[in-house]
Amino acid sequence: MAQLAVSVAGLSLRNPLLSASGTFGHGLEMRHVVAPSLVGALVSKTVTPRPRPGNAMPRIQETEAGLLNSIGLENRGMQSYLDTTLPEVAGADTVIITNIGGETEQEFAEIAAAFDGRPEIDAFELNLSCPNVDGGALPYSTDPKTAERVVASVRAVTRKPLFAKLSPNVTRIEDIAVACERGGADGLTAVNTVLGMSIDWRTGRPGLGTIVGGYSGTAIKPIALRCAWQCARAVSLPVLGCGGVRCAEDVLEFLAVGCSAVQVGTANFGEPGLLARMPAELDRLLDDAGFASVEDLIGSVRGGSRAEVPG
Amino acid sequence: MPAPPPDARSFRSELIDVRPTGDDGVVLRVRPTIELPALRAARFFMLRRDDELSPAIPRPFSVYRVREDGSIEFLIKVMGRGTRALAESVPGTTLVTVGPLGNGWPVLGGDAEPLVMIGGGIGSVPFYMAIEQALAGMEGAPPVAAPDITFVYGAAHAGLLYDIEVFERLGVRVIAATDDGSRGFHGNVVQALEAEWSNGRLPERVRVLTCGPDPMMEAVARVARDRDLPCWLSLETYMGCGVGICNGCAVRTAPGGPFGDWPIAKCCVDGPVFPAAALALD
Repeated sequence: MAQLAVSVAGLSLRNPLLSASGTFGHGLEMRHVVAPSLVGALVSKTVTPRPRPGNAMPRIQETEAGLLNSIGLENRGMQSYLDTTLPEVAGADTVIITNIGGETEQEFAEIAAAFDGRPEIDAFELNLSCPNVDGGALPYSTDPKTAERVVASVRAVTRKPLFAKLSPNVTRIEDIAVACERGGADGLTAVNTVLGMSIDWRTGRPGLGTIVGGYSGTAIKPIALRCAWQCARAVSLPVLGCGGVRCAEDVLEFLAVGCSAVQVGTANFGEPGLLARMPAELDRLLDDAGFASVEDLIGSVRGGSRAEVPG
Repeated sequence: MPAPPPDARSFRSELIDVRPTGDDGVVLRVRPTIELPALRAARFFMLRRDDELSPAIPRPFSVYRVREDGSIEFLIKVMGRGTRALAESVPGTTLVTVGPLGNGWPVLGGDAEPLVMIGGGIGSVPFYMAIEQALAGMEGAPPVAAPDITFVYGAAHAGLLYDIEVFERLGVRVIAATDDGSRGFHGNVVQALEAEWSNGRLPERVRVLTCGPDPMMEAVARVARDRDLPCWLSLETYMGCGVGICNGCAVRTAPGGPFGDWPIAKCCVDGPVFPAAALALD
């Protein structure tokens, strides 16, 4: 029996498996399929200060090796989250990470301040892929200065652990990672979706109502792994790996390159019960390879190769 | 939090038979590996092949029939990669199966107006069990007499009237309608329906259920609205998950309807069956 528990930014997780934001609702609605006690943490869908009805349809389109989406952060806003969602989350037997978003630094700070006093929330994840309305609608995640400022604005209003979720759609993700560390983040999530599109050349119709959307799933795993590895080398913060993970083998790859825990996203759509059977598979794979604990594997190939093979 | 139905499970099933029907349809017969509850007509499952080659996102399929041995049949039309992977599977193939999902038709009892069911092409699927259950007495409701059920089955041509002879064996009136006149009424389902009314073969007051292409359902819903008839639609959308977690299957709701002021409902967990009045239809 390998030891699966990990400690991440002061959070004690029973295993390194998390749901990825936007792919598991708020987590608790799935309790009949995946008992919360089986996962390390549940990460909510992005909550924004004001309600957002989301984008035009179609919002999802499967392509050759992954899924395009442009949901548009559909959510009922922070008041509904406080009044309706959090009471259902209370008492959940797992760590709750609430993903928050906004269109200005003030909005990020506003929602973090409104949620800070709620004991049901163990930590925040900042969706830095939100468009910065004050900065020409470019996402916060694409510029080190705005990324640092928005993290700092949230840091100023909460002591809860803060994870900044980064975008792979940048030239040097390490620069954004370092900026978030300077801004006061306690950890990073690497990464959000890769921008993509699809088109039917016969009809001229794009697959998504917004034409361009976020690409996720199996195809982006090498991209995500590279990003997570670069982040882990650039900062001293824990990194939550995310992108294209669909089996326990994938999870272990992210841990090996330096992630402290791993989020499972699009693969939940392929099999909603996936997260329930992953802990046992992780355990078996670690046992077979001679690792006594997850902690022993984390970062063991951060330099690009492993110094010694265990066992 | 809109949640998947409490009886929904994520499990494996075994494909035990694949039977072609019509020009581009197949009936997949699957054996679930778990005990399933009684299934109300128009509930659905998400299905995909459990291998590395097929699309990773399962597709939603309405239950066609539940057989006496507990196996479930899905009648599917080959449209793209997901449906092709399923249709080309051989018996013994393992399928990732999620369900039962969605709400299903309302209880169809014999204590209200006669039923008119209008299916277009592959939209016929959720009507087989609807007819079967209405005739038997659905979930404790009084049975509907066979003469009080009319099934209008439309398609572009006869080859797309999948399994129509199976529907005809149910003992209710089945009216085929084809755009090219290759079988039954020469015209679309709405024209067939109007012809039934004008010939006095259908009571003025009926309950209307419809499933098929969006423009067809919208036309049916307009007819129902103009005649002030109760009408339910079983919708199909692109679904990422089927269990309410991806927000991909959004449908537009009518302001002030049962969904309040929120302009969006999730087809998978709020539907797939909606009263026409709940929807913002084009």
